[in-house]
Parts: sequence; C-alpha cells; structure tokens
Amino acid sequence: MGTLGKLSFRSKINLGIVAVIMVFCILLALLVSRVAVKAMSGEIKKRGMSLAQNLASRATNSILALDFLRLKNMVDEVAGSSEDIVYAFIQDVRGQVLSHTFRSGFPSALRDANQISAAESFQIQLLGTEDELIYDFALPVKVGDNRLGTVRVGLSRAKAEAAVRRLLFTIFGVSAVIALAAVGMGSLFASTVTRRLNSLRRSAEEMIKGNLALHLGPPLERNCWEIKNCNQTGCPAYGDTRRRCWNIPGTLSPECRDVDYEDRLTCCKDCLVYQLNAGDEIQSLAESFDVMAMTLDAHIKGLEEAERNLTRQQQLLKTILDVNPDLVSLQDQNLVYQAVNPAFSKFCGLPAQEILGKTKIPLFPPEQAEEHQSESLEILQTGGHKSKEILVHKNGEKRWLHMVKVPVYDRDRITGILMAARDITEIKHYQEQLIQSLKMEQLGKLAGGVAHEINTPLCVILGYAQMLLEDMPQDTESHEFLKIIEKQAQICRRIVGDLLSFSRHIESRMEDMDLNRSLTEVLDLVRHSFKQNWIDIVPSLAPDLPTIIGDHEKLKQVWLNLLTNAVDSIGQNGAIRVSTGLDPQSGRVQVTVADNGPGIPPENLKKIFDPFFTTKAPGGGTGLGLSVSFGIIQDHQGAITVSSPAPPEFLPGSPNGKAPGPGCVFLVELPVSQDKVMVEDALPQLPPERVKIAGKSAG
Amino acid sequence: MVSDKEMTLVTKLAPRLFLAVFTLACLFLAGCGDDEPVKKVDLSKLEEITMIKPPAAVTYAYLPQYAHNVSYRRHHQLVKYLAKTTGLAIRQVFPDTFDEHMNMVGRGEIDISFSNPYVYVQIASRYGTRAFARIVEGQGEINFRGQVICRADNLQIKTPGDLKGKRLIAVDAYSAGGYLYPWAWLLEQGLRKKDFLEIVFAPGPGGKQEKVVMAVYSGKYDLGLIRERTLDILADKIDIKQIRVLAHSRWYPGWVYAARRGLPPDILAKIKEALLSLDPKNPDQREILEKARFTGLLPATDADYEAVRRLAEAVESRG
Repeated sequence: MGTLGKLSFRSKINLGIVAVIMVFCILLALLVSRVAVKAMSGEIKKRGMSLAQNLASRATNSILALDFLRLKNMVDEVAGSSEDIVYAFIQDVRGQVLSHTFRSGFPSALRDANQISAAESFQIQLLGTEDELIYDFALPVKVGDNRLGTVRVGLSRAKAEAAVRRLLFTIFGVSAVIALAAVGMGSLFASTVTRRLNSLRRSAEEMIKGNLALHLGPPLERNCWEIKNCNQTGCPAYGDTRRRCWNIPGTLSPECRDVDYEDRLTCCKDCLVYQLNAGDEIQSLAESFDVMAMTLDAHIKGLEEAERNLTRQQQLLKTILDVNPDLVSLQDQNLVYQAVNPAFSKFCGLPAQEILGKTKIPLFPPEQAEEHQSESLEILQTGGHKSKEILVHKNGEKRWLHMVKVPVYDRDRITGILMAARDITEIKHYQEQLIQSLKMEQLGKLAGGVAHEINTPLCVILGYAQMLLEDMPQDTESHEFLKIIEKQAQICRRIVGDLLSFSRHIESRMEDMDLNRSLTEVLDLVRHSFKQNWIDIVPSLAPDLPTIIGDHEKLKQVWLNLLTNAVDSIGQNGAIRVSTGLDPQSGRVQVTVADNGPGIPPENLKKIFDPFFTTKAPGGGTGLGLSVSFGIIQDHQGAITVSSPAPPEFLPGSPNGKAPGPGCVFLVELPVSQDKVMVEDALPQLPPERVKIAGKSAG
Repeated sequence: MVSDKEMTLVTKLAPRLFLAVFTLACLFLAGCGDDEPVKKVDLSKLEEITMIKPPAAVTYAYLPQYAHNVSYRRHHQLVKYLAKTTGLAIRQVFPDTFDEHMNMVGRGEIDISFSNPYVYVQIASRYGTRAFARIVEGQGEINFRGQVICRADNLQIKTPGDLKGKRLIAVDAYSAGGYLYPWAWLLEQGLRKKDFLEIVFAPGPGGKQEKVVMAVYSGKYDLGLIRERTLDILADKIDIKQIRVLAHSRWYPGWVYAARRGLPPDILAKIKEALLSLDPKNPDQREILEKARFTGLLPATDADYEAVRRLAEAVESRG
C-alpha cells in the first residue's frame, strides 16, 4: 500500500478537494486570463476604434477650416476622457501633425509608426515603448472618397493587463477561499462519514469478540407503527426499534404483505415509512449491520441450544450405552469398529481405543471369527438381520451371548452394522435348572408310581417274613435268613416310603399342633444316639409359641431330616442348636437348626434341596431327605432356607473344647393359625444376603 | 461488468492520465498566448510642431449654410476643376458662419465667394465685391424661394393670422432662402417681429438649414423659415410628411459667384471663363455640377441683384 493509501479518509478527501480546486483554479486562471486578455484587447480595440472614428468624424470640419484650436480641443478632450488614452493626434493628408496631446513635444517616431494605406479603412498597431504596450489606432479622415488626413489615438494596454491581473488575483483569492471552505466542509462531511465508519469498525470488533448486542442505527423519531398508526401487534416490526421494517420479513403492512422479501425494497421505496426513515448508504449499512448482528445472535443462540441439546442427547446416549450391560458395537461398511460401549470393551478385556479402527477383536474364538465376519458381510449385502445365541469362553468360563446384528442405513445405503449382545448365561442356567426340575418331577412321578406298585408286594414279603420268624426257632440258620430278609425288606420299605413322600402320594393331615412339642419328641428320640457320636443338642425353644396348622408326623420327619443332616455334616464332636421363635414382622413361626460342622461349599448350596443330591457315599443316603423336607414345608405354605457358614449368633457353643467350624443353619418359617397370632418373642434374623439362597416359596 | 484486474489498472492509470491531460491543457492554454506583433517605438525623441502656413493660392469659399464637409463634398471637385482648368492654385476655405464669410471677404481671405444674394448684397455694399456669375438650378431655374413650415399635426395654424404668438426659427439673419425671402412673405401678410412669441436663428456653424427643420420637427419651435428643397435633403433622415409647408415666398434671384475687390482681372477672367464653360453634357463636368447641386452657370452682374437689395432694405427698415 502506498503513502496515499495509508492516509486517513479525511486527509484523502481534503487532499482530493484541494487538488481538484487547485487544478480547476489553474486551468480557470489560464483560460480566463487568455479569454480576458483577448476580450480586453478586443474591447480596447473597439473602444480605440470608436474614439478614433468619433474624432475623425468631428475633426473633418475643423481640418477643412484649419481650426487648430478646435482640433487641439478635440484631441485633448479625447485624451482626457480616460486615463488609459496615452495620446491622440491628427495628421493632414501629407502626414503633417496638425494637433496632438503631447505637452513637451511630439515624439518623432510616432509619426510614421502606424501608417495607413489608401485601401485600408483603419489600422491597429501594437507599439512597444520602454514603459508599456500601446495600441495605436490610425483612421483616415475622409469626405466622400477624398482623404483629408489621419486621426491617431494611442490606448495603453496596461490598464487591461491590470484588469486581467486583478481578475486573476480575484480568481486565486476566491479559489483559495473556496478551497478553505471546501476543506472545512470536506472535513465536516468526512468526519461524519469516518465517525460512522469507525463506529461500524468498533462494532465489527465487538462482533469478533462475541458481543452481538449492537445498535448502530440511529433512533427514529417516529417508528413505522406510529407513522402508519396501526395496531398490528402481531406484526414482527411492531415494537422492534432495532431493525427497520423493510429489513424484517413477514411484516403485515398491506402494501408489502404479499410481496416476496427479495422484492420488498422496490415496494418499500414508495412507502412513507421508508421515505421518512431511510438514511444514506452508511446508515443503511449500519441498519443492515444491526439486522445481521441480530440474525447472527439468534442463529448462534439457536446453535448453542442445538449444541446443548445434542450434548445432552450425546450424554444420554453415552450414559445409556455406558450403563447398558449389553455389549454394543458399531462397525462401518468395511467392518472397522467405529464405536463400542464400555460393556463391550470390558467383555473383550481391551480399552475402547484399542478396539476402534480394527476389524478383528478377541471377542470370538478363531473358529467363530470367520463365521462372524461372513455374517456381517452378508448383512451389508442383503440388509437382513441376524439373531442367534453363541457360546464364548471368557477367562476360562463359558458365557452364553444372545447376539443381534442389524444394518445401519444412511438414507438408502447401508453404512455399517450395529451389534448388540446380551450375556444370557444366567438365563441359560435357569433354563437348565428348569429342565432339571421338569426331569425330577417326571422322575418323582415315575418313582412314586413304582413305589406305590412295589409297596404292596413288599408288605406281603415283610409280613410273611415276620410270620415265618415267629414260627422259626431262633438260633437256626433259617431264622437268621429270615431276619436278613426282614431287615432288607424294612430298608426297602423305608426307601419306598421316602419315594412315596417325595411323590406326595401320602396325604397330609393338617390340624392345630404345638410346634415345640413335635420338636421335643424328635429331640428326645435322637438325643441318645447323637450322644454316642459326642454331639450335643442345645435346645432353645421359645415358650408360648402360637399353635400352627400342620401335619404333626410330617413335620417331625422334617425335624428328623434336618437333625440327621446336621449329624451327617458334623460327624463327631459337635453341637446342634435348635431354636424356635415368632418373627414379629412376618408373623410367622421360625425354627432354626444350626450346627458347627464344616459347612456346605457354596457350589452345593444351590443344589442342596435337589432330589437325589447327596454328598454321602453310595448307599449312605438316597439324597431325598432335604428334598422331601422342602416339599413338606411347601405343603405347609412355609419356607425353608439354608445359610453357610452360619452367622455366629446361630452357632451353638462347643462343649468339648473343639473349635467350631463354619457350620450351617437351616431356617424354617411356618404360618401360625390366624386366630392365634401372638407377638411375644423374636428370633434373631438371618442376614438378607444369606436368605437369598432360600428355596422356592409357597404359592 | 468490470473485473477487479481492470479496476486496478484504471486506478493505477487514472492519476497519470489526469496529470497528462492537466499538463497538456496548461501547455495548450499557455500556448494560446498574445501573438500580436509589437512595433518598438522610441518616444524620447521629440519635435516641436509649428503652425502650418497654407500655400499661397486663390481662395474659394462657399457660404456655410451647410456643414464644412457638405461644402467640401459639394465644391471640392469644382475647385479641383477650376485649378486644373485655369492652372491656378485654388484652395477652398471654410468660414464657420455667414458673418465670418463676409468678414473674410472683407479681409481678402476669400477671393471667390459663392453666396446667397442677401449676403452678396451685403458684401457688395460693404467691401465692393462684384458678381460675375450666377447658377442655374433644376430645369434652368435661375431664381429660388423660401418656405414657411410647421409640424403637419399643428392644426391651430390655418390662416396667416394664426401665426401670431408662435415661436419662429430661421436659418440665419443673412440667409436669403432661409430668412429674407420667407420673412418678406410674412411682412406681406402684415406680420411683424413683435407678433411672434420668439424669433431665433439656427446655431452655427454649418448645417443651419437642417437645424431649422429639425427644430420644427422636434416641436421646439412652431414655425420655421427654410430654403426650398431643404426638405429633400432630409428626406432620408426624417419623415418629411410630418412637416407641413405653410407658404412659399416669392421667387428671387439665386446664388451668385462674386470676386473680391482687388482680385487681378486675369485671374477673375480665367475663373469666370472656366465656370461659365461648365457643360452639363460633358459627363465629367456634369458630375461636378451635380455635386455642386446646380446645372449650369450664367454670367451675372451686380444689377441682377437689385431687387434683392431693395427687399433687404425693406425688411431691415420694417423690422
């Protein structure tokens, strides 16, 4: 940029004005001086000719009369009429000077300085003296065709030159004044322009800084709704003092309501509002600036709102994906992973950054990876869905996943594959359990049927064996054999009884009963035999328990099963604590049987109520005791749960100094008779986390 | 649509173009200077102008009833003819007034006087001037007369009696056609100087006949006394229909050539012969005669003007 370009706008304006005026002044001065010199010369010549003609006309008679006095008066009169007339004199036809105006003598050189021939009517000659230039006018004095003499008049050009100089001085003076005034006016105009331009610049800087609350347009004396005197409060221009109505789309003015926004300005130019309020180009620019700032502000706010919404939605989506336990991944059309959720990366055992951008991940074993890729390519080609359950190994565990693959569309084109996989291992387990239960149920029915059919012949066998025993003398081999038959028949009868109980083929006799009494009867029965294995029974029976409705014999079988189970767990040297009580919260009677044996491994806890599940050696038990007990308690609309290790408050003390094991505790809950609910005592509660091991509840 | 490149080029060239045009304009205007040639003169060398003495010659004067240039125009060629014919140096002189004409005759400054009969009888009686030729005008007219004029729209004057109380202007106190002859008519009508509100003579020198007509035409005076044919001279200057001729005087002898007393007879004889020999049939001489406004000349004697002398005496005596 040159020096001129760096000058301020005002300096440029002033410089331009002065340059134009000076150029105009110089050209005007040159032109005017030339024109003026010519005009003045012309005027001088006309005037000189007029004077000479007048003198020649008047001098005729005096020349004829040789009236020298009158001739002298005439030339003096001519010379005295104006200061610029240097001289006047009259010559006769021979050139002899008849009269002149020179006081001190006639200049000889002047006589023949401007001669006129017979053919010429006049002659003008510019004479140069030492002091000045003189126009010499020579005019013949004639009467008819006869020449009497010559009139000579000299007019100085100095006066004309002085007039031209005065004119030039005036031109330059006026030009200087005009230049000064123009500079002043230019500065004034420029300042109004630069002031508003600076305002626009500052506003632009404010916009760059982000401040869009600008108001550059001047306030209006009367707004459009005041000029139109309208009450269109629904019009977007109504009450808007920042924008001009012609810059606002959708105004309700009847003149421009139906005109497109692009053609609005053509319509608005005829509007009184526009004619009153429209300013110059800079004001229009400032008003447009305001509109732009407002529009930009609105757009930015809209963008910010949209960004906030987008961020919120992204956060929501991220939260959903992060929290979602399902494995979610998105692959592009080249099967490159574009996004995975934390569950996915956790399942893969890799951070998300190491998964993204790759096509193969250690989610699938090699033999499944190829199939997985083929399915994905098929989905990309066909747009179909895939849904299947797969078995994968993770950290040595088998995990079932239910995987769904769907194509991702961008308009009509498939751009990727969304995969969602859910860990259904637990469901699979429940399914297996359910199947097992169904199997057990069918097995139970089968066993019950078989037992029912065997029971009668077995009774016949046992009956006849006992009858033969009575007939056979003791100490005989036959008696010995019959004893063995009776004993084995008794074992078979017990097994058949268990099977019948399991298959619920024995009807319960429900009646009011005393729970403590049934317990005491069982405890009395087994205490002696338990003692032989150094196992103590510690009863802690709550007095005044409400009566319950139950089958006295079946419940005794339950207590017996639980105690037998505890003895089998302890082996030798231990204690069994048996307690009863009323749970005031549930209003149910609770019975706990706790031992301080080695406890039950966690993996067995879930199976302990399954039929035929036993940890005993073959022939040691049928595995139906706890299962039968479970069924009896269910028939009583109660619940039986197990917990191991047993909470300390349930554990019995060790009477023989042996350190107690982790032990286990069985909790039986039974409903009381409705009209005998009493809340007098409470048993300690099992921790909730242990109770979750509870078996199926009734109903 | 002007491209950015073209705009840049224009922006760069505009100042240079402007400067070039400005310089050319300055040079053009400066070049259109004053190219009039100046002739150097030295006004320091001075000389004294002495009064010119005209060369010795026979002087010829025409009574200044008109301006000098008219007198010159009318008689210049006649004077040249006389000089050429007689071989004498003859120069026309121009007295300003009738009185000066008469005085110059008296002083001997006019050798040949061409005057009206009234002046002639004056100088004849005063200075012994003698008539030797008279002119013939028009179709051989040797006499002429005067006129009494007024404005054509002056309807008050219907009879000579209506002239009383009017303002009157005449050519000169020594004018024949412009005073003496028409004034004789007024006397015959019984009017005297006292009957007029004002009587003035046209101011001199020269052009006095015309001045009387102009004075009446302008309404400054009610009546004017002029020589017949004066209106014809002004026909191209004013609308002569605005002038009404009230009356004509009687016919009296015309203009006369007279020689001063003491003029050598041989010179007089040559001049007289030359004048009388002017022939209207000679084209050159006819032009001379036409310029002088007469058609020929006849010999004359002083006795031819006796009637005028008597008329003058009568007018002077009756006032």
